[in-house]
Amino acid sequence: MADPGPRRVVITGLGAVSGVGVGADAFAAAIRAGTVGTRPITGFDVSGFPYRMAGEVHDFDPAPILRNLDPADWGRSGLLAASAARLAAQDSGIDAGLLERRRVGAIMGTTSGESTVASRLAEQWVHSELKRLDPRLVGQAPAAQIASAVSNELLLSGDSQTVATACSASNYALGYAYDLVRTGEADLMFAGGADAVNRFTHAGFFALGALAEDVCRPFDADRAGILTGEGGAALLLEPLEHARARGARIYAEVLGYGVNCDARHMVHPDAASIAACMRAAHRSAAIDPADVDYICAHGTGTPTNDATEILAVREVFGEAPPPISSIKSMIGHTMGAASGFGAVICCKAIADGFLPPTANLQRLDPAFAGLDVVPGTGRAARPDIVQNHGFAFGGNNVITVFGRVS
Amino acid sequence: MTALTAPRPRPLAITAAGVVSAAGLGLRPLGELLAERLPGHAEPVGADSADYPPRAVRSVPGFKLADHIGRKKIRNLDRLTGFGIVSTRQALAAAGDMPDDGPDDRTGVVLATNTGSIGSIAEVAQDALLQDRPYLVNPSRFPNTVINSAAGQIAIWNRLHGMNATLAAGQLSSLYAFRHALIALGQDRADRLVVGGGEELSAVLAWGWHGTGALPDHAPLGEGCAMFTVEDAERRGGGSALAQVLACETGFYGLRKRLQSRSQGLSNVIGRALERTGVRPDEIDLVAPGATHHVGLERIEERGIRAALGRMPEQLRVADTVGETYSAAGAMQVAGVLAIWDRRPAARPRTALVTAVGHDGNVGALLIREAEVA
Repeated sequence: MADPGPRRVVITGLGAVSGVGVGADAFAAAIRAGTVGTRPITGFDVSGFPYRMAGEVHDFDPAPILRNLDPADWGRSGLLAASAARLAAQDSGIDAGLLERRRVGAIMGTTSGESTVASRLAEQWVHSELKRLDPRLVGQAPAAQIASAVSNELLLSGDSQTVATACSASNYALGYAYDLVRTGEADLMFAGGADAVNRFTHAGFFALGALAEDVCRPFDADRAGILTGEGGAALLLEPLEHARARGARIYAEVLGYGVNCDARHMVHPDAASIAACMRAAHRSAAIDPADVDYICAHGTGTPTNDATEILAVREVFGEAPPPISSIKSMIGHTMGAASGFGAVICCKAIADGFLPPTANLQRLDPAFAGLDVVPGTGRAARPDIVQNHGFAFGGNNVITVFGRVS
Repeated sequence: MTALTAPRPRPLAITAAGVVSAAGLGLRPLGELLAERLPGHAEPVGADSADYPPRAVRSVPGFKLADHIGRKKIRNLDRLTGFGIVSTRQALAAAGDMPDDGPDDRTGVVLATNTGSIGSIAEVAQDALLQDRPYLVNPSRFPNTVINSAAGQIAIWNRLHGMNATLAAGQLSSLYAFRHALIALGQDRADRLVVGGGEELSAVLAWGWHGTGALPDHAPLGEGCAMFTVEDAERRGGGSALAQVLACETGFYGLRKRLQSRSQGLSNVIGRALERTGVRPDEIDLVAPGATHHVGLERIEERGIRAALGRMPEQLRVADTVGETYSAAGAMQVAGVLAIWDRRPAARPRTALVTAVGHDGNVGALLIREAEVA
């Protein structure tokens, strides 16, 4: 049998459960308007913490979204993931029976897994003399439960895999899902990520000196750090031919991705390594830097990340890179979901014709002079090819590239 | 869309192995214990050893990271990371790498773990919950609580700049790691991967298992890490290898499906692995099952294997020797197969089936064939 070559893979469904809106349309509209969703934390007791802001999904109620999961049986990260995936399935208009019958799976990214479950277990462990742990919580604790939640909600029978490569995990999941679909190992795949705001992550970032007090200001001269955030993001990856045959709305094509590891330091990013990842992504997508119309930045808002990221961008793109913005200014750093939200907004940017903004910018860092960070609110545009950055603890870099299907 | 036409997967060459287990370091001691059906070290170790519940364990005895990589810069590395670094070093050394080799852009890491280091998480939780100021967690230790910490450190200590993955799929995690390696190398995402899984035992983890009732008290909990250097067998061409991974197939039979459907599911994935590789059921010399001692699952796994093969070949119960290593289980089963083959040479290359069934509904089957005798 002749090798038909790899299949072209497109995005036909988007799901988002975020602090600025539930559903891809609500999420994208809020981002486009520059809506800042970071607020005082309600998810855990912040008394004793000097900094108390985060990008939470307030009043998150999975029950009306989910059809098959009992929310009582799952941790918050899994519920955010499953809700986003259910929304993506609905958005795609795909036949639910087809999802059940075909080889369809879920690859979901995360940084801290079921961190709110782990927090409760940790409290039981620390405060109890009896060393008894609630077995229901123990069962919910493995990070694997995030992809399991998606597979159970959508009744999938294909690969069910959680990718825990921290803050680039959604991009890693997208890259892997893309390879599964393009090779025919899977018929369709859901990919994305989820994380929940929790006490330990908040404490850890504070201890590292990476937390901002009030707002997240990527690329600003006075940027102070991240705000922790949470949410679930999911995308449906489908072969182009199949999408066309069923008359699906096609948001964008996955053109390729690049992945590498700094292998130098656990928390300090490395510009040369990030630049190498960008070049790998461009090679994979068979594009040149000049083809890229927009960069969805990792853009955490820490002094180090933004300086390093822009250094790498200039190394690859020269002195006039395309517009680059950070949606973390609005939703905070949603960790394992972050590059998933980036991918969702990239698809919306291509399909709806706009550039997402960087909110909260007061004064552009003079070191970034000449850079278009799309300050304030979104801007009408027609990006054809965009790249989505995800960098992480452990030096895990993954960059995905999306393009318009003409 | 037509259903998957199941082209033959591009096999992986396993070029070397590194193992840290209750049997000791490397394949050889593991093979010796497996051949005699003897347990590895069967007492808890470490500062929390008095806090364990009353149940069987298999732990890695006398493990000191400084013995392997020196005393510098290791103060903040946790036990799981130590296992990962040492097993990876063993594998790379056996594959011919030198410790002072330069950075390697085309070798990556695929590590299976569901939680990262639970010891590190418990330590940071202790700080955050018991200190006067909840934010006074140790910034040098906090990164250890992030799940991909071990894979990141493995890359740093071995200068591996290629793709770096941390994968979680419950009991199936290590099999999924092999599956990821098959697909990534087939797509030329790297030249070589160090793939495997790790698990770190502690009193808190033992109590966690203990309460679930998933394993009877006599079923030992284990720990360790098994890592393998793997390459795309076709691109690599000749050269010595231990074995080839011919296929790794997985499926999900979740909560809405009846428990029995998992045995059918396992049978399906075994059947798919056989069909895609052209291996006949009667060619399977050895089965390394993954659900050993698991309440409910052990029989489901056996039924699935019998349904697919029409018989039950000789079984290798790796978990009896190294314990239930959860995230690392599939990697330990592969290590066990390689170790027993090494221990008992045969005139012709043998084929083994490694299976796994998870309480979450994941099922998987990996086919491995011994290298031709040179």
